[in-house]
Amino acid sequence: MIKIENLTYQYDSNQKPILADLNLEIRAGEYVALVGPNGCGKTTFIRHLNGLLLPVKGDIWIDDWNTKDSALLPKIRQKVGMVFQNPDHQIVGTTVEEDVAFGPGNLNLSPPEIRQRVDRALEWVGLRHHLQTTSHALSGGEKQLLALAGVLAIRPIYIAFDEPTSHLDPLSRKRILRVLQKLNSQGIAIIHVTHNMDEIIHAQRILVMDQGKIILDDNPAAVFTRIELLQKIGLDVPKISALLWHLRQKGIALRADILELDEACLELYRLIKPENTDPVHLV
Amino acid sequence: MYPIGQYAPGQSLMHRLDPRIKILCTILLSFLVLQGGMWAALFFSVLLGSAFLFSGISFSRLWQSLKPMFVFFILLFLLHAFFTPGRPILPSSAPRFMPTSEGLYLGALTTLRFVLLVLCATLLTCSTLPMDLVHGLERLLRPLRRIGVPSHEIALMISLALRFIPTFMIELQRIKEAQMARGVDFHSGSIFKRLKKTVDLIIPLLLGAFRRADELAGAMESRGYQRGSRTYLRELHFSHSDLAVTCLMVVMTWGYVFRLQILKFFNPY
Repeated sequence: MIKIENLTYQYDSNQKPILADLNLEIRAGEYVALVGPNGCGKTTFIRHLNGLLLPVKGDIWIDDWNTKDSALLPKIRQKVGMVFQNPDHQIVGTTVEEDVAFGPGNLNLSPPEIRQRVDRALEWVGLRHHLQTTSHALSGGEKQLLALAGVLAIRPIYIAFDEPTSHLDPLSRKRILRVLQKLNSQGIAIIHVTHNMDEIIHAQRILVMDQGKIILDDNPAAVFTRIELLQKIGLDVPKISALLWHLRQKGIALRADILELDEACLELYRLIKPENTDPVHLV
Repeated sequence: MYPIGQYAPGQSLMHRLDPRIKILCTILLSFLVLQGGMWAALFFSVLLGSAFLFSGISFSRLWQSLKPMFVFFILLFLLHAFFTPGRPILPSSAPRFMPTSEGLYLGALTTLRFVLLVLCATLLTCSTLPMDLVHGLERLLRPLRRIGVPSHEIALMISLALRFIPTFMIELQRIKEAQMARGVDFHSGSIFKRLKKTVDLIIPLLLGAFRRADELAGAMESRGYQRGSRTYLRELHFSHSDLAVTCLMVVMTWGYVFRLQILKFFNPY
Protein backbone atom coordinates (compact mmCIF):
# COMPACT_ATOMS: atom_id res chain seq x y z
CA MET A 1 0.00 0.00 0.00
CA ILE A 2 1.19 3.51 -0.82
CA LYS A 3 0.41 5.89 2.01
CA ILE A 4 0.69 9.63 1.56
CA GLU A 5 0.66 11.65 4.76
CA ASN A 6 0.37 15.45 4.83
CA LEU A 7 2.36 15.74 1.60
CA THR A 8 3.31 19.34 0.91
CA TYR A 9 5.65 20.41 -1.85
CA GLN A 10 6.85 23.79 -3.04
CA TYR A 11 9.82 24.71 -5.21
CA ASP A 12 10.38 27.95 -3.34
CA SER A 13 9.35 28.75 0.22
CA ASN A 14 7.96 32.14 -0.88
CA GLN A 15 5.66 30.62 -3.45
CA LYS A 16 2.30 29.00 -3.08
CA PRO A 17 2.74 25.25 -2.51
CA ILE A 18 2.24 23.05 -5.58
CA LEU A 19 0.92 20.23 -3.40
CA ALA A 20 -0.86 21.26 -0.23
CA ASP A 21 -1.26 18.81 2.63
CA LEU A 22 -2.33 15.72 0.69
CA ASN A 23 -3.50 12.61 2.51
CA LEU A 24 -4.13 9.53 0.45
CA GLU A 25 -3.83 5.79 0.29
CA ILE A 26 -3.36 3.70 -2.81
CA ARG A 27 -3.92 0.00 -2.26
CA ALA A 28 -2.05 -2.78 -4.03
CA GLY A 29 -3.80 -3.91 -7.20
CA GLU A 30 -5.94 -0.80 -7.48
CA TYR A 31 -6.54 1.17 -10.71
CA VAL A 32 -6.45 4.80 -9.70
CA ALA A 33 -6.88 7.61 -12.19
CA LEU A 34 -5.60 11.08 -11.40
CA VAL A 35 -7.14 13.92 -13.38
CA GLY A 36 -6.87 17.66 -13.16
CA PRO A 37 -6.23 20.77 -15.24
CA ASN A 38 -2.73 21.72 -16.43
CA GLY A 39 -0.44 22.86 -13.67
CA CYS A 40 -2.56 21.44 -10.86
CA GLY A 41 0.34 19.36 -9.53
CA LYS A 42 -0.39 15.93 -11.03
CA THR A 43 3.10 15.35 -12.39
CA THR A 44 4.70 16.76 -9.24
CA PHE A 45 2.55 14.38 -7.24
CA ILE A 46 3.45 11.18 -9.05
CA ARG A 47 7.13 12.12 -9.11
CA HIS A 48 6.95 11.76 -5.34
CA LEU A 49 5.82 8.15 -5.54
CA ASN A 50 9.26 6.76 -6.37
CA GLY A 51 11.36 9.41 -4.70
CA LEU A 52 12.24 11.46 -7.77
CA LEU A 53 10.96 14.33 -5.67
CA LEU A 54 10.96 14.35 -1.88
CA PRO A 55 8.24 16.00 0.21
CA VAL A 56 9.00 19.38 1.75
CA LYS A 57 6.58 18.44 4.52
CA GLY A 58 4.92 15.12 5.24
CA ASP A 59 5.88 11.56 4.32
CA ILE A 60 5.29 8.95 1.64
CA TRP A 61 5.32 5.31 2.65
CA ILE A 62 5.69 2.59 0.04
CA ASP A 63 4.78 -0.60 1.91
CA ASP A 64 6.28 0.91 5.07
CA TRP A 65 9.36 2.28 3.33
CA ASN A 66 9.76 6.04 3.57
CA THR A 67 10.93 7.67 0.33
CA LYS A 68 13.06 10.05 2.41
CA ASP A 69 15.35 7.15 3.33
CA SER A 70 17.87 7.29 0.50
CA ALA A 71 19.17 3.80 1.31
CA LEU A 72 15.72 2.41 0.46
CA LEU A 73 15.34 4.30 -2.84
CA PRO A 74 16.65 1.47 -5.06
CA LYS A 75 14.13 -0.92 -3.45
CA ILE A 76 11.34 1.63 -3.72
CA ARG A 77 12.06 2.18 -7.40
CA GLN A 78 11.92 -1.56 -7.91
CA LYS A 79 8.39 -1.52 -6.47
CA VAL A 80 7.11 1.66 -8.10
CA GLY A 81 7.73 1.90 -11.82
CA MET A 82 7.09 5.04 -13.81
CA VAL A 83 6.19 5.63 -17.45
CA PHE A 84 6.49 9.23 -18.65
CA GLN A 85 4.66 11.32 -21.19
CA ASN A 86 7.16 11.45 -24.00
CA PRO A 87 8.58 8.04 -25.00
CA ASP A 88 11.50 9.72 -26.77
CA HIS A 89 12.70 11.14 -23.47
CA GLN A 90 12.81 7.83 -21.61
CA ILE A 91 14.30 5.33 -24.02
CA VAL A 92 17.94 4.73 -23.15
CA GLY A 93 18.99 1.88 -25.42
CA THR A 94 20.02 1.95 -29.06
CA THR A 95 18.10 -1.24 -29.74
CA VAL A 96 14.80 -2.45 -28.29
CA GLU A 97 16.33 -5.29 -26.27
CA GLU A 98 19.17 -3.11 -24.95
CA ASP A 99 16.62 -0.62 -23.71
CA VAL A 100 14.53 -3.17 -21.85
CA ALA A 101 17.75 -4.63 -20.39
CA PHE A 102 18.66 -1.29 -18.82
CA GLY A 103 16.50 -1.71 -15.71
CA PRO A 104 17.43 -5.36 -14.96
CA GLY A 105 21.08 -4.40 -15.59
CA ASN A 106 20.78 -1.75 -12.89
CA LEU A 107 19.57 -4.48 -10.54
CA ASN A 108 22.81 -6.38 -11.23
CA LEU A 109 20.98 -9.46 -12.47
CA SER A 110 22.85 -12.18 -14.33
CA PRO A 111 22.81 -12.06 -18.16
CA PRO A 112 20.54 -15.15 -18.51
CA GLU A 113 18.08 -13.63 -16.01
CA ILE A 114 18.18 -10.31 -17.90
CA ARG A 115 17.55 -12.15 -21.17
CA GLN A 116 14.54 -13.91 -19.67
CA ARG A 117 13.05 -10.69 -18.28
CA VAL A 118 13.63 -8.83 -21.55
CA ASP A 119 11.89 -11.56 -23.55
CA ARG A 120 8.97 -11.78 -21.12
CA ALA A 121 8.44 -8.01 -20.95
CA LEU A 122 8.55 -7.61 -24.73
CA GLU A 123 6.25 -10.59 -25.17
CA TRP A 124 3.85 -8.96 -22.75
CA VAL A 125 3.57 -5.65 -24.59
CA GLY A 126 3.62 -7.40 -27.99
CA LEU A 127 7.00 -6.19 -29.24
CA ARG A 128 8.77 -9.54 -29.17
CA HIS A 129 9.36 -9.45 -32.92
CA HIS A 130 11.25 -6.15 -32.55
CA LEU A 131 14.10 -7.43 -30.33
CA GLN A 132 16.91 -6.13 -32.53
CA THR A 133 15.13 -3.10 -34.00
CA THR A 134 16.77 0.26 -33.36
CA SER A 135 14.60 2.06 -30.85
CA HIS A 136 14.18 5.28 -32.83
CA ALA A 137 12.75 3.34 -35.77
CA LEU A 138 9.61 2.38 -33.81
CA SER A 139 6.30 4.24 -34.13
CA GLY A 140 5.12 6.53 -31.33
CA GLY A 141 2.81 3.91 -29.85
CA GLU A 142 5.45 1.19 -30.06
CA LYS A 143 7.95 3.51 -28.37
CA GLN A 144 5.55 3.99 -25.47
CA LEU A 145 5.04 0.22 -25.27
CA LEU A 146 8.82 -0.15 -25.24
CA ALA A 147 9.06 2.35 -22.39
CA LEU A 148 6.46 0.26 -20.55
CA ALA A 149 8.36 -2.97 -21.26
CA GLY A 150 11.47 -1.31 -19.80
CA VAL A 151 9.52 -0.70 -16.59
CA LEU A 152 7.89 -4.16 -16.55
CA ALA A 153 11.31 -5.83 -16.73
CA ILE A 154 11.99 -4.42 -13.26
CA ARG A 155 8.82 -6.24 -12.08
CA PRO A 156 7.20 -3.42 -10.09
CA ILE A 157 3.92 -3.84 -8.22
CA TYR A 158 2.82 -0.25 -8.71
CA ILE A 159 3.21 1.60 -12.01
CA ALA A 160 2.56 5.30 -12.37
CA PHE A 161 1.76 6.57 -15.87
CA ASP A 162 2.17 10.28 -16.53
CA GLU A 163 -0.16 11.06 -19.45
CA PRO A 164 1.06 8.03 -21.36
CA THR A 165 -1.23 8.58 -24.34
CA SER A 166 -0.90 12.32 -24.93
CA HIS A 167 1.61 11.92 -27.78
CA LEU A 168 -0.23 9.07 -29.48
CA ASP A 169 -2.76 8.60 -32.27
CA PRO A 170 -6.17 7.06 -31.39
CA LEU A 171 -5.18 3.53 -32.37
CA SER A 172 -1.99 3.50 -30.31
CA ARG A 173 -3.92 5.10 -27.49
CA LYS A 174 -6.38 2.21 -27.46
CA ARG A 175 -3.52 -0.27 -27.55
CA ILE A 176 -1.86 1.33 -24.51
CA LEU A 177 -5.14 1.48 -22.60
CA ARG A 178 -5.78 -2.20 -23.25
CA VAL A 179 -2.32 -3.02 -21.95
CA LEU A 180 -2.99 -0.93 -18.84
CA GLN A 181 -6.17 -2.84 -18.08
CA LYS A 182 -4.44 -6.15 -18.71
CA LEU A 183 -1.67 -5.14 -16.32
CA ASN A 184 -4.20 -4.25 -13.68
CA SER A 185 -5.95 -7.60 -14.10
CA GLN A 186 -2.59 -9.24 -13.30
CA GLY A 187 -2.63 -7.51 -9.92
CA ILE A 188 -0.38 -4.55 -10.67
CA ALA A 189 -1.62 -1.27 -9.22
CA ILE A 190 -1.97 1.45 -11.84
CA ILE A 191 -1.80 5.16 -11.15
CA HIS A 192 -2.92 6.76 -14.38
CA VAL A 193 -2.53 10.51 -14.83
CA THR A 194 -4.50 11.97 -17.72
CA HIS A 195 -6.57 14.83 -19.10
CA ASN A 196 -8.83 12.56 -21.01
CA MET A 197 -11.84 11.35 -19.02
CA ASP A 198 -12.84 8.80 -21.68
CA GLU A 199 -9.67 6.86 -20.87
CA ILE A 200 -10.51 6.25 -17.25
CA ILE A 201 -14.06 4.93 -17.16
CA HIS A 202 -12.53 1.55 -16.29
CA ALA A 203 -10.66 2.91 -13.28
CA GLN A 204 -11.76 1.74 -9.86
CA ARG A 205 -11.22 5.16 -8.42
CA ILE A 206 -10.78 8.66 -9.76
CA LEU A 207 -8.89 11.38 -7.97
CA VAL A 208 -9.63 14.91 -9.16
CA MET A 209 -6.91 17.37 -8.37
CA ASP A 210 -7.05 21.13 -8.47
CA GLN A 211 -4.49 23.63 -7.19
CA GLY A 212 -2.51 21.04 -5.31
CA LYS A 213 -5.47 19.49 -3.53
CA ILE A 214 -7.57 16.37 -4.10
CA ILE A 215 -11.10 17.76 -4.48
CA LEU A 216 -12.86 14.51 -5.42
CA ASP A 217 -11.99 10.90 -4.61
CA ASP A 218 -14.64 8.43 -5.73
CA ASN A 219 -15.60 5.81 -8.29
CA PRO A 220 -16.04 6.96 -11.93
CA ALA A 221 -19.85 6.91 -11.91
CA ALA A 222 -19.96 9.16 -8.86
CA VAL A 223 -17.26 11.50 -10.13
CA PHE A 224 -18.93 11.95 -13.51
CA THR A 225 -22.15 13.16 -11.88
CA ARG A 226 -20.25 16.17 -10.57
CA ILE A 227 -20.30 17.83 -13.98
CA GLU A 228 -20.59 21.39 -12.71
CA LEU A 229 -17.63 21.07 -10.38
CA LEU A 230 -15.49 19.42 -13.08
CA GLN A 231 -16.40 22.05 -15.65
CA LYS A 232 -15.56 24.82 -13.19
CA ILE A 233 -11.96 23.60 -13.00
CA GLY A 234 -11.76 23.11 -16.76
CA LEU A 235 -12.38 19.39 -17.14
CA ASP A 236 -14.88 17.57 -19.32
CA VAL A 237 -16.79 14.44 -18.47
CA PRO A 238 -17.26 11.61 -20.98
CA LYS A 239 -20.02 12.42 -23.49
CA ILE A 240 -22.18 9.48 -22.40
CA SER A 241 -22.09 10.58 -18.77
CA ALA A 242 -22.87 14.17 -19.78
CA LEU A 243 -25.84 13.11 -21.91
CA LEU A 244 -27.35 10.93 -19.18
CA TRP A 245 -26.73 13.62 -16.57
CA HIS A 246 -28.56 16.22 -18.67
CA LEU A 247 -31.48 13.82 -19.21
CA ARG A 248 -31.65 13.16 -15.47
CA GLN A 249 -31.65 16.92 -14.85
CA LYS A 250 -34.79 17.05 -17.03
CA GLY A 251 -36.39 14.62 -14.64
CA ILE A 252 -35.99 11.45 -16.69
CA ALA A 253 -35.41 8.45 -14.45
CA LEU A 254 -32.09 6.94 -15.50
CA ARG A 255 -29.53 4.96 -13.56
CA ALA A 256 -26.56 7.04 -12.46
CA ASP A 257 -23.89 4.35 -12.75
CA ILE A 258 -23.81 3.98 -16.54
CA LEU A 259 -20.45 4.65 -18.19
CA GLU A 260 -20.32 2.62 -21.39
CA LEU A 261 -21.95 3.44 -24.70
CA ASP A 262 -23.79 0.11 -25.20
CA GLU A 263 -25.12 0.12 -21.67
CA ALA A 264 -26.44 3.65 -22.13
CA CYS A 265 -28.10 2.67 -25.42
CA LEU A 266 -29.80 -0.26 -23.76
CA GLU A 267 -31.06 1.87 -20.90
CA LEU A 268 -32.45 4.49 -23.29
CA TYR A 269 -34.04 1.79 -25.43
CA ARG A 270 -35.78 0.35 -22.38
CA LEU A 271 -37.00 3.83 -21.54
CA ILE A 272 -38.53 4.27 -24.97
CA LYS A 273 -39.99 0.74 -25.14
CA PRO A 274 -40.62 -0.36 -21.55
CA GLU A 275 -42.50 -3.50 -22.66
CA ASN A 276 -39.39 -4.85 -24.35
CA THR A 277 -37.26 -6.48 -21.69
CA ASP A 278 -35.20 -8.73 -23.91
CA PRO A 279 -31.56 -7.85 -23.90
CA VAL A 280 -30.83 -6.38 -27.31
CA HIS A 281 -27.50 -5.51 -28.76
CA LEU A 282 -27.72 -2.11 -30.30
CA VAL A 283 -24.08 -1.26 -30.62
CA MET B 1 25.71 6.09 -49.75
CA TYR B 2 26.97 4.73 -46.45
CA PRO B 3 28.12 6.94 -43.62
CA ILE B 4 31.81 6.40 -42.87
CA GLY B 5 32.56 3.26 -40.92
CA GLN B 6 28.94 2.33 -40.28
CA TYR B 7 28.24 -1.20 -39.16
CA ALA B 8 27.77 -3.64 -42.03
CA PRO B 9 25.71 -6.61 -40.82
CA GLY B 10 27.32 -9.97 -41.40
CA GLN B 11 28.14 -13.36 -39.96
CA SER B 12 31.82 -13.57 -40.90
CA LEU B 13 34.69 -14.55 -38.67
CA MET B 14 35.50 -10.87 -38.25
CA HIS B 15 31.95 -10.15 -37.09
CA ARG B 16 32.00 -12.98 -34.60
CA LEU B 17 35.27 -12.04 -32.91
CA ASP B 18 35.04 -10.78 -29.34
CA PRO B 19 34.81 -6.94 -29.46
CA ARG B 20 37.46 -6.73 -26.72
CA ILE B 21 39.93 -8.58 -28.94
CA LYS B 22 39.04 -6.41 -31.91
CA ILE B 23 39.57 -3.20 -29.96
CA LEU B 24 42.90 -4.39 -28.57
CA CYS B 25 44.01 -5.59 -32.02
CA THR B 26 43.16 -2.24 -33.54
CA ILE B 27 45.20 -0.39 -30.93
CA LEU B 28 48.12 -2.80 -31.19
CA LEU B 29 48.10 -2.88 -34.99
CA SER B 30 48.03 0.92 -35.12
CA PHE B 31 51.07 0.99 -32.86
CA LEU B 32 52.94 -1.61 -34.92
CA VAL B 33 52.05 0.10 -38.18
CA LEU B 34 53.36 3.43 -36.90
CA GLN B 35 56.54 1.88 -35.54
CA GLY B 36 57.44 -0.51 -38.35
CA GLY B 37 59.21 0.34 -41.61
CA MET B 38 58.21 -0.23 -45.23
CA TRP B 39 58.36 -4.02 -45.10
CA ALA B 40 56.24 -4.09 -41.97
CA ALA B 41 53.75 -1.73 -43.64
CA LEU B 42 53.55 -4.00 -46.69
CA PHE B 43 53.12 -7.02 -44.43
CA PHE B 44 50.24 -5.34 -42.60
CA SER B 45 48.68 -4.31 -45.92
CA VAL B 46 48.50 -7.97 -46.87
CA LEU B 47 47.23 -8.88 -43.37
CA LEU B 48 44.51 -6.21 -43.34
CA GLY B 49 43.65 -6.94 -46.96
CA SER B 50 42.97 -10.58 -46.16
CA ALA B 51 41.08 -9.57 -43.01
CA PHE B 52 38.81 -7.48 -45.24
CA LEU B 53 38.26 -10.37 -47.61
CA PHE B 54 37.38 -12.54 -44.61
CA SER B 55 34.97 -9.96 -43.22
CA GLY B 56 32.87 -9.88 -46.39
CA ILE B 57 32.61 -6.10 -46.14
CA SER B 58 32.07 -4.68 -49.60
CA PHE B 59 34.79 -2.75 -51.37
CA SER B 60 32.54 0.29 -51.74
CA ARG B 61 32.33 0.66 -47.95
CA LEU B 62 36.09 0.56 -47.76
CA TRP B 63 36.31 3.20 -50.43
CA GLN B 64 33.69 5.32 -48.62
CA SER B 65 35.87 5.55 -45.56
CA LEU B 66 39.06 6.28 -47.48
CA LYS B 67 37.60 8.84 -49.89
CA PRO B 68 37.17 11.78 -47.49
CA MET B 69 40.81 11.36 -46.43
CA PHE B 70 42.16 11.36 -49.97
CA VAL B 71 43.18 15.04 -50.10
CA PHE B 72 44.97 14.58 -46.81
CA PHE B 73 46.85 11.53 -48.13
CA ILE B 74 48.00 13.36 -51.27
CA LEU B 75 49.07 16.40 -49.27
CA LEU B 76 50.96 14.18 -46.84
CA PHE B 77 52.80 12.46 -49.67
CA LEU B 78 53.70 15.68 -51.50
CA LEU B 79 54.91 17.47 -48.37
CA HIS B 80 57.20 14.57 -47.54
CA ALA B 81 58.38 14.21 -51.13
CA PHE B 82 59.38 17.85 -51.49
CA PHE B 83 60.56 18.81 -48.04
CA THR B 84 62.70 15.83 -47.01
CA PRO B 85 66.37 16.70 -47.43
CA GLY B 86 68.34 14.32 -49.66
CA ARG B 87 69.24 13.57 -53.28
CA PRO B 88 66.94 15.17 -55.90
CA ILE B 89 65.42 12.55 -58.18
CA LEU B 90 66.68 14.32 -61.33
CA PRO B 91 70.19 15.73 -62.09
CA SER B 92 70.87 19.26 -60.83
CA SER B 93 70.21 20.82 -64.25
CA ALA B 94 66.47 20.55 -63.57
CA PRO B 95 64.55 23.25 -61.58
CA ARG B 96 65.68 23.68 -57.99
CA PHE B 97 62.43 22.66 -56.35
CA MET B 98 62.49 18.92 -56.76
CA PRO B 99 61.28 15.91 -54.80
CA THR B 100 64.08 13.91 -53.25
CA SER B 101 64.30 10.14 -53.47
CA GLU B 102 64.39 9.95 -49.66
CA GLY B 103 61.29 12.14 -49.67
CA LEU B 104 59.45 9.86 -52.09
CA TYR B 105 60.24 6.85 -49.93
CA LEU B 106 59.23 8.57 -46.69
CA GLY B 107 56.11 10.02 -48.32
CA ALA B 108 55.01 6.63 -49.58
CA LEU B 109 55.67 5.02 -46.19
CA THR B 110 53.83 7.70 -44.18
CA THR B 111 50.85 7.71 -46.53
CA LEU B 112 50.66 3.93 -46.47
CA ARG B 113 50.76 4.02 -42.66
CA PHE B 114 47.81 6.41 -42.51
CA VAL B 115 45.84 4.40 -45.07
CA LEU B 116 46.43 1.34 -42.89
CA LEU B 117 45.29 3.20 -39.76
CA VAL B 118 42.04 4.22 -41.45
CA LEU B 119 41.55 0.65 -42.72
CA CYS B 120 42.09 -0.71 -39.23
CA ALA B 121 39.45 1.59 -37.76
CA THR B 122 37.01 0.89 -40.61
CA LEU B 123 37.43 -2.83 -40.17
CA LEU B 124 36.63 -2.48 -36.48
CA THR B 125 33.53 -0.30 -36.81
CA CYS B 126 32.15 -2.08 -39.89
CA SER B 127 32.29 -5.51 -38.30
CA THR B 128 31.13 -4.61 -34.76
CA LEU B 129 27.75 -3.35 -33.55
CA PRO B 130 28.11 0.01 -31.79
CA MET B 131 26.62 -1.47 -28.62
CA ASP B 132 29.13 -4.32 -28.69
CA LEU B 133 31.95 -1.83 -29.16
CA VAL B 134 30.76 0.10 -26.13
CA HIS B 135 30.38 -3.09 -24.14
CA GLY B 136 33.84 -4.29 -25.14
CA LEU B 137 35.33 -0.94 -24.21
CA GLU B 138 33.60 -1.07 -20.86
CA ARG B 139 34.99 -4.53 -20.13
CA LEU B 140 38.49 -3.43 -21.10
CA LEU B 141 38.30 -0.36 -18.86
CA ARG B 142 36.77 -2.26 -15.94
CA PRO B 143 40.10 -3.16 -14.27
CA LEU B 144 40.87 0.57 -14.25
CA ARG B 145 37.90 1.22 -11.96
CA ARG B 146 40.26 0.65 -9.05
CA ILE B 147 42.22 3.74 -9.96
CA GLY B 148 39.03 5.73 -10.38
CA VAL B 149 38.21 5.33 -14.10
CA PRO B 150 34.38 5.30 -14.25
CA SER B 151 34.11 2.55 -16.85
CA HIS B 152 30.32 1.99 -16.58
CA GLU B 153 29.64 5.70 -16.80
CA ILE B 154 31.91 6.12 -19.83
CA ALA B 155 30.17 3.23 -21.57
CA LEU B 156 26.74 4.64 -20.73
CA MET B 157 27.71 8.09 -21.99
CA ILE B 158 28.88 6.70 -25.32
CA SER B 159 25.80 4.51 -25.78
CA LEU B 160 23.46 7.39 -24.89
CA ALA B 161 25.27 9.58 -27.41
CA LEU B 162 24.79 6.87 -30.05
CA ARG B 163 21.14 6.48 -29.08
CA PHE B 164 20.40 10.20 -29.38
CA ILE B 165 22.20 10.99 -32.65
CA PRO B 166 19.12 10.13 -34.79
CA THR B 167 16.81 11.94 -32.36
CA PHE B 168 18.88 15.11 -32.60
CA MET B 169 19.05 14.88 -36.38
CA ILE B 170 15.25 14.81 -36.50
CA GLU B 171 15.07 17.66 -34.00
CA LEU B 172 17.53 19.74 -36.02
CA GLN B 173 15.48 19.20 -39.16
CA ARG B 174 12.34 20.27 -37.29
CA ILE B 175 13.95 23.47 -35.99
CA LYS B 176 15.25 24.23 -39.46
CA GLU B 177 11.81 23.76 -40.97
CA ALA B 178 10.23 25.92 -38.26
CA GLN B 179 12.65 28.72 -39.09
CA MET B 180 12.18 28.29 -42.82
CA ALA B 181 8.42 28.57 -42.26
CA ARG B 182 9.11 31.98 -40.72
CA GLY B 183 11.07 33.09 -43.75
CA VAL B 184 14.68 32.21 -42.93
CA ASP B 185 16.60 31.32 -46.09
CA PHE B 186 19.42 28.87 -45.42
CA HIS B 187 20.69 28.72 -48.98
CA SER B 188 21.74 32.29 -49.71
CA GLY B 189 23.76 35.13 -48.18
CA SER B 190 27.42 35.53 -47.34
CA ILE B 191 29.32 32.84 -45.46
CA PHE B 192 29.15 34.98 -42.32
CA LYS B 193 25.38 35.30 -42.56
CA ARG B 194 24.95 31.58 -43.13
CA LEU B 195 27.14 30.89 -40.13
CA LYS B 196 24.94 33.14 -38.05
CA LYS B 197 21.85 31.24 -39.23
CA THR B 198 23.50 27.96 -38.23
CA VAL B 199 24.11 29.34 -34.74
CA ASP B 200 20.40 30.15 -34.61
CA LEU B 201 19.76 26.45 -35.23
CA ILE B 202 22.24 25.22 -32.64
CA ILE B 203 20.88 27.22 -29.70
CA PRO B 204 17.32 25.84 -29.73
CA LEU B 205 18.79 22.39 -30.33
CA LEU B 206 20.99 22.73 -27.24
CA LEU B 207 18.15 24.07 -25.12
CA GLY B 208 15.99 21.13 -26.20
CA ALA B 209 18.84 18.77 -25.41
CA PHE B 210 19.16 20.10 -21.86
CA ARG B 211 15.45 19.75 -21.21
CA ARG B 212 15.53 16.26 -22.66
CA ALA B 213 18.56 15.35 -20.54
CA ASP B 214 16.65 16.39 -17.44
CA GLU B 215 13.69 14.17 -18.27
CA LEU B 216 15.92 11.32 -19.34
CA ALA B 217 17.75 11.49 -16.00
CA GLY B 218 14.39 11.16 -14.22
CA ALA B 219 13.42 8.17 -16.36
CA MET B 220 16.81 6.52 -15.78
CA GLU B 221 16.60 7.02 -12.02
CA SER B 222 13.08 5.58 -12.06
CA ARG B 223 14.50 2.46 -13.66
CA GLY B 224 16.94 2.07 -10.81
CA TYR B 225 20.01 3.68 -12.34
CA GLN B 226 22.72 4.57 -9.86
CA ARG B 227 26.44 5.04 -10.05
CA GLY B 228 28.56 1.96 -9.73
CA SER B 229 28.33 -1.58 -10.94
CA ARG B 230 25.71 -2.90 -13.29
CA THR B 231 25.27 -5.96 -15.49
CA TYR B 232 24.55 -6.32 -19.20
CA LEU B 233 22.27 -8.33 -21.41
CA ARG B 234 25.05 -9.53 -23.65
CA GLU B 235 27.84 -11.73 -22.45
CA LEU B 236 31.15 -11.60 -24.23
CA HIS B 237 32.51 -14.97 -25.25
CA PHE B 238 36.16 -15.68 -25.81
CA SER B 239 36.11 -18.29 -28.59
CA HIS B 240 38.76 -20.36 -30.37
CA SER B 241 39.09 -17.83 -33.17
CA ASP B 242 39.65 -15.13 -30.54
CA LEU B 243 42.43 -17.24 -29.12
CA ALA B 244 43.96 -17.69 -32.59
CA VAL B 245 43.87 -13.95 -33.26
CA THR B 246 45.36 -13.24 -29.85
CA CYS B 247 48.19 -15.68 -30.52
CA LEU B 248 48.89 -14.00 -33.86
CA MET B 249 49.00 -10.59 -32.21
CA VAL B 250 51.26 -11.84 -29.44
CA VAL B 251 53.69 -13.35 -31.94
CA MET B 252 53.77 -10.15 -33.98
CA THR B 253 54.30 -7.96 -30.94
CA TRP B 254 56.95 -10.28 -29.59
CA GLY B 255 58.64 -10.22 -32.97
CA TYR B 256 58.60 -6.47 -32.96
CA VAL B 257 59.82 -6.02 -29.39
CA PHE B 258 62.65 -8.52 -29.66
CA ARG B 259 63.53 -7.67 -33.25
CA LEU B 260 63.39 -11.25 -34.42
CA GLN B 261 65.31 -12.20 -37.49
CA ILE B 262 62.10 -12.38 -39.46
CA LEU B 263 61.16 -8.78 -38.68
CA LYS B 264 64.69 -7.64 -39.46
CA PHE B 265 64.05 -9.09 -42.87
CA PHE B 266 60.81 -7.07 -43.07
CA ASN B 267 62.42 -3.93 -41.71
CA PRO B 268 65.84 -3.36 -43.28
CA TYR B 269 65.98 0.34 -42.33
